[in-house]
Amino acid sequence: MDALTVPNGKKGIGGSILRNEDERLLSGRSTFIADISQPGMWEIAFLRSPVAHANILSVTKPEGFEQRVFLLSDLGDIRPIQADSQAKGFRRSDYPALANDRVRFVGEPIAICLGRTRAEAEDLAQAVFVEFEELPAVSDLSQCRDPAYPPIHPGWNDNLFLETHIDVGDVDAARAKAAVSLTRQYRMNRQAIVSLEGRGVMSYIDERTGELVVYSSTQFPHVIRTALAHCLNMQERELRVVAPEVGGSFGVKNNLNPEEIAIAALTKKIRKPIRWVEDRREHLIAAPHAREHRYEVTVHADKDGLILGLEASIDVDAGAYSVWPWTSPMESGMAIGFLPGTYTISNYRATARTCASNKSPMGPYRGVGRPGACFAIERTIEELAVHLGLDPVEVRLRNYVRPDQFPWKSAGGKTYDNGNYAESAIAARDLIKPERLTELRQRYADSDYLIGLGYATYLEQTAHGTAEWVQRGLPVVFGYEQAALQMTPDGMLIIDVPIQNHGQGLETTLAQVANEELGIDPAQVVVRHGDTSMAPYGMGTFASRSMVMSGGAVGCASALLADKLRKIGAHLLQVQDSDVRLEDGFVVANASGGAKISLKEIAVAAFLRPERLPDDVDPGLSVVASYRTSRDTGAWSYGTHAAIVAVDRGTGMVHILDYVIAHDCGTIVNPMIVDGQMMGGLAQGIGTALYEEMPYSAEGQPLASTFMDYLVPGASEMPHTTIEHLCSPSPITRYGIKGMGEGGAIPPPASLCNAVNDAIRSLGASINETPMTPDRVLRALLDAQAGSATA
Amino acid sequence: MQIIKLRVNGEEVETAIDPRTTLADFLRQHVDARSIHLGCEHGVCGGCTIVINGKMARSCIALAATMDGAEIWTLEGLKDDPAIVQLRQSFHECHGLQCGYCTPGMLITARDIIARYGEPDEKFLREALAGNICRCTGYAGIVKAVQHAAAQLARRD
Repeated sequence: MDALTVPNGKKGIGGSILRNEDERLLSGRSTFIADISQPGMWEIAFLRSPVAHANILSVTKPEGFEQRVFLLSDLGDIRPIQADSQAKGFRRSDYPALANDRVRFVGEPIAICLGRTRAEAEDLAQAVFVEFEELPAVSDLSQCRDPAYPPIHPGWNDNLFLETHIDVGDVDAARAKAAVSLTRQYRMNRQAIVSLEGRGVMSYIDERTGELVVYSSTQFPHVIRTALAHCLNMQERELRVVAPEVGGSFGVKNNLNPEEIAIAALTKKIRKPIRWVEDRREHLIAAPHAREHRYEVTVHADKDGLILGLEASIDVDAGAYSVWPWTSPMESGMAIGFLPGTYTISNYRATARTCASNKSPMGPYRGVGRPGACFAIERTIEELAVHLGLDPVEVRLRNYVRPDQFPWKSAGGKTYDNGNYAESAIAARDLIKPERLTELRQRYADSDYLIGLGYATYLEQTAHGTAEWVQRGLPVVFGYEQAALQMTPDGMLIIDVPIQNHGQGLETTLAQVANEELGIDPAQVVVRHGDTSMAPYGMGTFASRSMVMSGGAVGCASALLADKLRKIGAHLLQVQDSDVRLEDGFVVANASGGAKISLKEIAVAAFLRPERLPDDVDPGLSVVASYRTSRDTGAWSYGTHAAIVAVDRGTGMVHILDYVIAHDCGTIVNPMIVDGQMMGGLAQGIGTALYEEMPYSAEGQPLASTFMDYLVPGASEMPHTTIEHLCSPSPITRYGIKGMGEGGAIPPPASLCNAVNDAIRSLGASINETPMTPDRVLRALLDAQAGSATA
Repeated sequence: MQIIKLRVNGEEVETAIDPRTTLADFLRQHVDARSIHLGCEHGVCGGCTIVINGKMARSCIALAATMDGAEIWTLEGLKDDPAIVQLRQSFHECHGLQCGYCTPGMLITARDIIARYGEPDEKFLREALAGNICRCTGYAGIVKAVQHAAAQLARRD
């Protein structure tokens, strides 16, 4: 990893400039949600359900503290979360702000308790008496349509949110023609998301403006304002939502939370400042979870490994409720849509089921649906290669969509913009050097280590707009982004954006876009975000959209501002508008000699000395612009990962000896930040592959509630990694940028599982489940041993 | 309530506390030591790392009531410490942070590693950092930053 900082002299797009946001974070003095308070503020503890599924028969508040414990009935007229998919056949779940007559997962909030300290509030929560009538808990996907488990929501006849089908081309003909048909089953188990800072909300009434002010550690404050207004029967102008410094998110803060509604409603009622700071246990058991996919995949191919057809059956456990605005079928919808991956598969038949259970609801997590889909297709293609005795990269090369086939309409219903998938696979192969395997295997021949190599190619749809979100049937369509630019009278620039920065470096990269258009030093640019009262309306940061969408909006607004600056500058320089350019903080005349005038002098004229302006130019230097991509089916990043692993046959431990990434995210705005995102994503992908799991007992009890039993990768788990950047600028976005925040997390489960299987294949063993814990690897080895013993 | 008297960041603090108050909560609430970031409150993530009587420690699993007479430094009090100054610069230059939540704990841990081991090799350094969880960076920038700072400080000695 040598590419993290390579200053290349550029300050605009393409420059590895250092981050504007670092200084305050390095001081430790910035304000996360737990650092924000109001005089007289009360701390909150939620009373959460200790059981997975039960009717609530009664709730008794502790004597003398009735005014400090609040149930749903105490919060006034509020609406539940209704995250309704437009898909035909979708079954609705009403997700109440506080459970009223029934609880549906361990951790579901039942009551709000107020204390002067969190400890006092927790004491109170413990003193509330709840009488439950327990019901059978749906704790496994296999129980989804089992009549022994009554439906968890009223009006349902089993525990299925939605079943969808795809049937494209002629799969039966493909099957008849195929030289080989292989069927495999895969499992990607449930995990928590784990931002290092948990969720949190602080709210109060601003008695001057009359606003209900809600600070929330969220990725999309404007959208939360809209949702809260709906749930609380308020007008949006009566609400201000602020996202302060956000300590990591990765999707887990990208939902409308019942806690947000309950806290806002309670503040509105009691008109006192209150704050909830989620602790780790709450986060692990009650914040939205991720993954939990099961697949049965059948591939039909000719003898050379050319894929003729694909069949799949996909099951996703979406938990107890549909989360807003994503809806519960998001995971299975992404899985079924992305399973064909980078390949020219035209005959595709699949079924995807979104099942309900008594577990925490499934929400978006870095990669959303794609880590599972990538795992299933990339395991399958590697199995096909092994079965045919072919090189796995060669089999991929025979099947990739070719550069001359874009835009490619996939069998999954997606439209890929461009790329060169083969180039990424060849680059990854060149970096990992498969010829090393022989030598490595010899070196470890007398040890317990089994050496294996695995590849995985991934696709990352980013910055998808209107067409895609309409197709997915969401209640909100995230089609555009806005930016407001204002120059100050001293010639500096303030950019207000409704996206939210929580580690991605957007305060720097958006300033780099402004530099590209205005020539202003990025260090002179302030980017403000996360506050509905400062920025124009917008959708927030998720789905790898902000660099494209907000970058596009800042680019459009900067171009408009540049026109005005050039016009004023030309007037002050007494030359034609067309004869000047913006450069390094000046408007410069093109004519020889190059007379110039600083942005500061222009700003003085625009704000303080309007008599200096041309007659047809209005005072002020403020612009609001909106941006959407020219085609709104997404800009598609992609890449190939390759891993060499050593599997310890004695302990079942998997050690990653080397890891390489060859990826393409179009035009790169800041290579240092792209490398940082890639490495961070990789760490989370390795977590999914090897360590992270949220198991449940048969009674629906979550079995990992601390960092002692929920393992996230540490510094010593991260391998030596090489990253190579390829570049196919997107034809549909301003500057050719593609998003890339999620890509690092998508293929590691597939590449590592392929590598582990390559390592243990010589013993006749295989593994098709994540995380590949030592227990599971050992079991795979023992099963193979038992199999060969009985054979 | 219990009275404790201790020094925090060079200043004497004397106050009455609830005996069950953790040191982290006490420092955050009573001396505004908001650089203490709570990520797990059970001693695993390292976000609350501070210096107690010269030794690196986790403030979330210590009770304030046991700190009578202690000498405590948080990142606020170490802002001019030469190692911290260098580490901040190195974290900036090597992209050693993203969201910034783990950062104060990382800085204090790195300061301790450098003070005890000088310029450790990468493998040792990664093991030494294993008690601090970062969920954003994949540790690449952090490891590079600590190595960079260690080299800069060694050159100065």
